[in-house]
Amino acid sequence: MTAIREPKISIDGVTLVHVNEERRQEHVALENVSLDIGEGEFLCVVGPSGCGKSTLLSAIAGFMKPWTGEIRMNGKAIEGPGADRGVVFQEYALLPWKTVLGNVAIGLKYRRVPKAERERLAREYLAMARLTDAADRFPHELSGGMRQRVAVARTLANTPEIMMMDEPFAAVDAQTRLTLQEELLRVWDEHPITVLFVTHSVEEAVFLADRVAVLTPGPGRLREIVDIGIPREIRQWDSISTDARFLELRDHVMKLVRDPGR
Amino acid sequence: MTDATPSRTHATPRLAPSRAQVRGAIGIAVVFIAWQISVWIIALPAYFYPAPADVAAAFVDLTLKGILPSYIIDSARRYALGVATGLTLGVMSGLLIGLSRFWSRLLGPVINFFYAIVEVAWIPLLVIWIGYGFNTILIAISYVVFFPVLYNTLTGVQTAQKTLINAVRTLGASRLQVLTSVILPSALPNIITGFRVGAGFAFRGLIFAEMIAAGSGLGFLIFDGATTRQTDRVVVGMIMTGVLWLAMDRLFLRPLEMATIERWGLVRAKGGGV
Ligand SMILES: Nc1ncnc2c1ncn2[C@@H]1O[C@H](COP(=O)(O)OP(=O)(O)OP(=O)(O)O)[C@@H](O)[C@H]1O
Ligand SMILES: [Mg+2]
Repeated sequence: MTAIREPKISIDGVTLVHVNEERRQEHVALENVSLDIGEGEFLCVVGPSGCGKSTLLSAIAGFMKPWTGEIRMNGKAIEGPGADRGVVFQEYALLPWKTVLGNVAIGLKYRRVPKAERERLAREYLAMARLTDAADRFPHELSGGMRQRVAVARTLANTPEIMMMDEPFAAVDAQTRLTLQEELLRVWDEHPITVLFVTHSVEEAVFLADRVAVLTPGPGRLREIVDIGIPREIRQWDSISTDARFLELRDHVMKLVRDPGR
Repeated sequence: MTDATPSRTHATPRLAPSRAQVRGAIGIAVVFIAWQISVWIIALPAYFYPAPADVAAAFVDLTLKGILPSYIIDSARRYALGVATGLTLGVMSGLLIGLSRFWSRLLGPVINFFYAIVEVAWIPLLVIWIGYGFNTILIAISYVVFFPVLYNTLTGVQTAQKTLINAVRTLGASRLQVLTSVILPSALPNIITGFRVGAGFAFRGLIFAEMIAAGSGLGFLIFDGATTRQTDRVVVGMIMTGVLWLAMDRLFLRPLEMATIERWGLVRAKGGGV
């Protein structure tokens, strides 16, 4: 499972600082983190609230420059936001005045893909997300789970090199959450892509990931990277929740999160 | 929406007057009757206090001579161009100030200062600088529309959600595409509100400006009628301003608002993106 891969993203000695210009305050969110995300890998980042997970994601997305160190993609330093790094936001961030189809097609529209072609592609990704019937509805007419699937379809339709997700399932109920996790893995199977997935939930991380990176409480440092060697075939909640390896890894990661060490 | 009795809505949905319309018509009729009765009681000369019949006669006379139609066309043209200019400048300045800290710091205080000056105070000065007529009125009306549109556009720009902006940037939107696909649609309901408010102010501004700075138009009709003691013409002018405003509000402004704010507001309130 953990074959050596080319790093897609290299996070190299990165310290991230929030600067408040008006109050002349600086807040270190993440300190000296080094971490590679392999090509095609599914990496989960867990850590307590406020340890800098979202900050890390926004730095990779290009909204923030590292204070020290460097973040590279395919060996090139990241300059700013770009369509090669897709983000699925926790609060969906769908355009309320566009239909589901319009939302999914919008990245293609920015790249001036002709209308007929982008609608065909968008419908393809909607079918993948099992949203074919919702194409002409508006986001406010959808449930939270459906909105999140639209957000994933929108990101994937844009064919980025990495998809980053910041606690995407935090706002849906527990039952829907399990379904969405399984669906995400199914979709990921059909569209292999590098994924960086941020979550509070240790179970979710261990269920989804190839590797789980554990951060310490703020300012976040890298505590440990845990390999999750559970075969992809048994990654369904029915079969995995009694699997000995799953339970053991879950407890191990849980311990790392609960006891920050040092 | 459908106040008409159910049986009639099916038969003649468009032509049947709704109950609200019937009541509104009764209200107007009562005003006219009260006016006529007061004329009998007060019993002053017609040039001082005209009766409805005098005003109707003046209306027919002005229409047949072609004065009223040409005045209405003049007023409407000044109004439309003035509002369009003010709207365009207001939206553009609102975007500029709302999106750039530099321009906001530079222009913010200046604009606040000018906003505080009552617009009609400009008209005498404009007459001295530019003279009577179209340009002075155009500037005065644009000025009136400009501020509410500007301030509402500013508010609208500020309501654009940071997450939405970030989301479209990660989807590859350029700066211009961020503006057209997130900021403008977010601000649209506010822009429409500003437009409605401005359009109302501008109508009053138009009549006032025409009293001072024009040789035609409804404002001129009112002013000229008063100076020549043709009070029946004054009242025709007054009624026409009311009718024009009502017509524009009903036929244009309200449908526009319905189409955007109410639907948009609903979409926004329920929050696809929130
Ligand atoms: N814009 C900001 N300005 C200043 N400080 C910030 C800003 N955003 C986040 N922080 C601080 O940086 C630290 C890390 O925040 P971040 O949002 O990355 O944490 P997180 O791990 O995503 O937390 P959560 O799990 O609650 O989402 C926190 O202490 C937070 O207060
Ligand atoms: Mg976060």
